[in-house]
Amino acid sequence: MNRLLQVSMILAIIFYFICLFSLLRKNKVTLKYILLWLFTGLVMFLIAVFPAILEVPLHLLGIVEFTNGVFALILFFLILIIMFLTIVVSDLGEKQRILVQKMAIYEKRIRELEEREKIS
Amino acid sequence: MSKILIIIPCYNEKESILKVIDSIKKLTISVDYIVINDCSTDNTLDILKKSNVNYLDLPVNLGIGGAVQSGYKYAKENDYDIAIQIDGDGQHDPQYITDLINPILSNEADVCIGSRFIKKEGFQSSALRRLGINILSTCISVFYKEKVYDVTSGYRAVNKNLIDIYANDYAQDYPEPEALATAILFHQRIKEVPVIMNERIGGQSSIHSFKSIYYMLKVSLAIIFKRFSHRKEK
Repeated sequence: MNRLLQVSMILAIIFYFICLFSLLRKNKVTLKYILLWLFTGLVMFLIAVFPAILEVPLHLLGIVEFTNGVFALILFFLILIIMFLTIVVSDLGEKQRILVQKMAIYEKRIRELEEREKIS
Repeated sequence: MSKILIIIPCYNEKESILKVIDSIKKLTISVDYIVINDCSTDNTLDILKKSNVNYLDLPVNLGIGGAVQSGYKYAKENDYDIAIQIDGDGQHDPQYITDLINPILSNEADVCIGSRFIKKEGFQSSALRRLGINILSTCISVFYKEKVYDVTSGYRAVNKNLIDIYANDYAQDYPEPEALATAILFHQRIKEVPVIMNERIGGQSSIHSFKSIYYMLKVSLAIIFKRFSHRKEK
């Protein structure tokens, strides 16, 4: 791998980790949802420092260019993260629906209780 | 004496909602009703308040599935024996409610659907929509081995057991065919009775133009996936 590429990769990943940690420190994100991001960063960092790790799998897959291998890997992780987000969003939607329905039923009960109070 | 609840989902139906409620009040059998205002953007809520209507007000728009399900949850909480869904737009004439609940009262069926296509009378919807309904009906009969003609009819009555099931598990977005699939998966007996539907009095259909392609894709996929994700319950 080209030296310049390697150094840029390492710098980019360090910046990436700084961003993640500052978000975590400010409690802007939940650690549970960041674990996958941290894992992705770790794998990319290892590859940037020891590019040799990728040599055998790339050769087996018939990927000649090292950078293509890195791209493919990043793409893989991105899809993984997005899928994870879709799961989280669906789950949130479901929970929100249940809350909204419960709330509407309670709101009706409150309305009726208030009315009864007015009469008595 | 069975406790009967009519569930009326309602989104921007200011022209028609009171007429629907009036005709329910004129029924000879004793029924309760609940309007579910799905966060209407017009003054439907004011009308409901002023006219002293029995209603639930959803603070967030959930769509027809979420709205109807709120009705089932309400029915479950208040221990109703039969729940009937009827649209708030005036398409469904409440005079058929007795026809819908009779098969359930006599324990002939667990779900009873008001179908346009048995006697083929009244508003039959456009040819394209009928084609869509046919495709979905075929889809259900292929994957669930049960022939239902008017799978998209939102005019249906269910018994207590299904009130429980739907309170926990009701399809979202375009729920009618999928909810039927749920009923079949839970081994419920389905019956269709003929009704005559009107063209809507006011408001807008939730399904139009470009959405219809999305509708067909989404609903048929949902029906197919549902078949393979749930085993038929014992």
